[in-house]
Amino acid sequence: MTLLNNIPPAFLLIIGAFILLILPATTRKAGAIALTLFGFYAVSQLSEGSRVLPEFLGFDLTLLRVDSTSKAFGYIFTLSAFGALVFSWSERCRLQNTAALAYVGSALGVVFAGDMISWYLFWEMMAISSTFLILARNNKRSRLAAQRYILVHLAGGLVLLTGILLAIHESGSIDFTKENIYQNATAKNFILIGILINAAAVPFSSWLPDAYPESTVFGGIILSAYTTKTAVYTLVRGFPGEEVLIPIGCIMAVYGIIYALLENDMRRILAYSIINQVGFMVCGVGIGTKLAIAGVVAHAFCHIIYKSLLWMSAGAVLYRTNKSKCTELGGLYKTMPITMVLGTIGALAISGVPLTSGFISKTLITAAAEHQNYLWAWLALEVASAGVFLHAGIKFPFFVFFNVDRGLRPKEAPRAMIAGMSLMAFLCIYLGLNPSHLYSILPNSDILVEQNSFYEIYIEHFDHVATMFQMLIFSGLSFFLFLPMLRRTPTISIDFDWFYRKGANLFYSGIDKTFNSINRASEHIVIKTFLPALVRFIINAPASLTVMLLRPLWEESLSADKTSIKKCEQKIISQFSSGTFPVAYSAIFILIFIGILIFLGRSFS
Amino acid sequence: MATKKKVTRKNTTTKKAKAKTKPPEETSSAMDNPYISASFWKAMWIICSISVILEFFIHRHKHFEDLESSVLGNMSNWFGFYGMFGLIACSGSILLAKGLSVFLKAKEDYYDDTP
Repeated sequence: MTLLNNIPPAFLLIIGAFILLILPATTRKAGAIALTLFGFYAVSQLSEGSRVLPEFLGFDLTLLRVDSTSKAFGYIFTLSAFGALVFSWSERCRLQNTAALAYVGSALGVVFAGDMISWYLFWEMMAISSTFLILARNNKRSRLAAQRYILVHLAGGLVLLTGILLAIHESGSIDFTKENIYQNATAKNFILIGILINAAAVPFSSWLPDAYPESTVFGGIILSAYTTKTAVYTLVRGFPGEEVLIPIGCIMAVYGIIYALLENDMRRILAYSIINQVGFMVCGVGIGTKLAIAGVVAHAFCHIIYKSLLWMSAGAVLYRTNKSKCTELGGLYKTMPITMVLGTIGALAISGVPLTSGFISKTLITAAAEHQNYLWAWLALEVASAGVFLHAGIKFPFFVFFNVDRGLRPKEAPRAMIAGMSLMAFLCIYLGLNPSHLYSILPNSDILVEQNSFYEIYIEHFDHVATMFQMLIFSGLSFFLFLPMLRRTPTISIDFDWFYRKGANLFYSGIDKTFNSINRASEHIVIKTFLPALVRFIINAPASLTVMLLRPLWEESLSADKTSIKKCEQKIISQFSSGTFPVAYSAIFILIFIGILIFLGRSFS
Repeated sequence: MATKKKVTRKNTTTKKAKAKTKPPEETSSAMDNPYISASFWKAMWIICSISVILEFFIHRHKHFEDLESSVLGNMSNWFGFYGMFGLIACSGSILLAKGLSVFLKAKEDYYDDTP
């Protein structure tokens, strides 16, 4: 269809989102689901190439840059939105559906944007629309979290905008390409930092585990998929082979594990595991070879599916029990067995267990690190792979569904939720068994031609399957060996957000103390001491001067009579303070004053 | 439904939580017990052993062939490397997290007075 071929899918979803706002509940929900399916179809209809749209602010915007990378992201963005909307069929909040579709739409806008201006505009739209998904929880904690979330993203957006403006100024072109970004080092650094803030790279990572767990059940699922993955997409576009991303990615991967191990809140554990997984992708972009880039896109694709599944299962538990802390959960396998099984499939997929989607995507990135002989990066990624199994693969399902029976007997998740989770679980296993379907839509798919069937991956390379299995089973062993150490405590972990949460308070009180003490000192010196002295001086000086000048005259005329001289002095002083002088005195003063003026006028001319 | 079996719980640390919540029904199923049962451990050790024994029968492709001269580079080709690696990496992560928890863990109301 030529029409769909020229319409950016972003517009379909964003315009649709606002139309849905006025529809009644059931129509709205069905419409939202249909819209995501239509979006998926629209993405599939896009032919490769770039399309320029009518100019905006004097620039030709490219709202559609279609290639295998953008299409792969387009597919998974619409697909996961479909799954999330099916899952939350019972969600009746008008605002959430619209915010979610606008958010997904703007994420698609970023993915298909071929120029930096439309990229930036959609980027900011994402930040704004996603904030409503946190606000929708409608309690004090979520409102404050949303406030911090939007502030971080607006700050990040400004950094990005600075970089974009510098890049456009330097290159004279708005095209979103690596060449344009790299023309000016400052522009490149600003853009990179702007993107890394959205990618939740350490130390700009804390907004993610701060905000996402405060969102609604539905909001968490939607949020987990888009912001960080669009950031990964823009890194793939603008910074392939940027070596600084390798250590950044490795740090993210390990940081995610450590914090996920410390956490007590199940959705916060999953939030930290997003950082861990995005770390793999960021590292892959840094490696930058064809295999690495294919691996990054594949991993983003699979990650969105299994992470949605994990957030869904956590969401179902939260929906039924209204609890999300490991210290309050446990033993749920008895009454929520289907949620447990589906959640565990997600947990196995994220751990990269053979036959699941995580295995066929993560290994591409580690293989790319190996091919380039990045030994340290490879080791860090392997540590991260083992650690994922530890925190997301075992810790999450174990503490939520097994562990101690807290006496919770919630009902099984509603049917719609199970349907949404089943779809995602099916995809996790389907892609694990049939990797060729995913590999064929990846960028650089030609290099994977010889290794994309079930036989080639699982039979020919059985040694890899066996070693992966060995690593995971020993990771699992260490979990149970160290279980007493992993006992949950009702605590939170302090992250980099300390700097703007506690730090802001310290800054405020520091500034308050410093400036207010300066203020008080100034008041004391200027208002209470200096100004009264000045006033006294202004009042007394002319009187004293006059008295000083007149004293010799009085002494002559009054023959040094001290009491009469004193009387004259007091009279003069009182006349000065009240401003009442005899006319003659005034006339004399005026004459003197005029004389001085004339003298000064002469001497200056 | 409510089978009041005597719970053979070794873990004393969970007693507090138990006392607070007073579950309506308790079972002594292995899944409930934080100290997993003996049969669980048996299964765990068997699977671990199988995963190691399996390595005798497969031909492993070499990793980091260019770095074969260095110990670190060649390490990944050692027998049982992945098992040891998984164990050490995870134990290390847990110990590191445990160590850091001294500095990083705070009470849940820690941020209550902040914006």
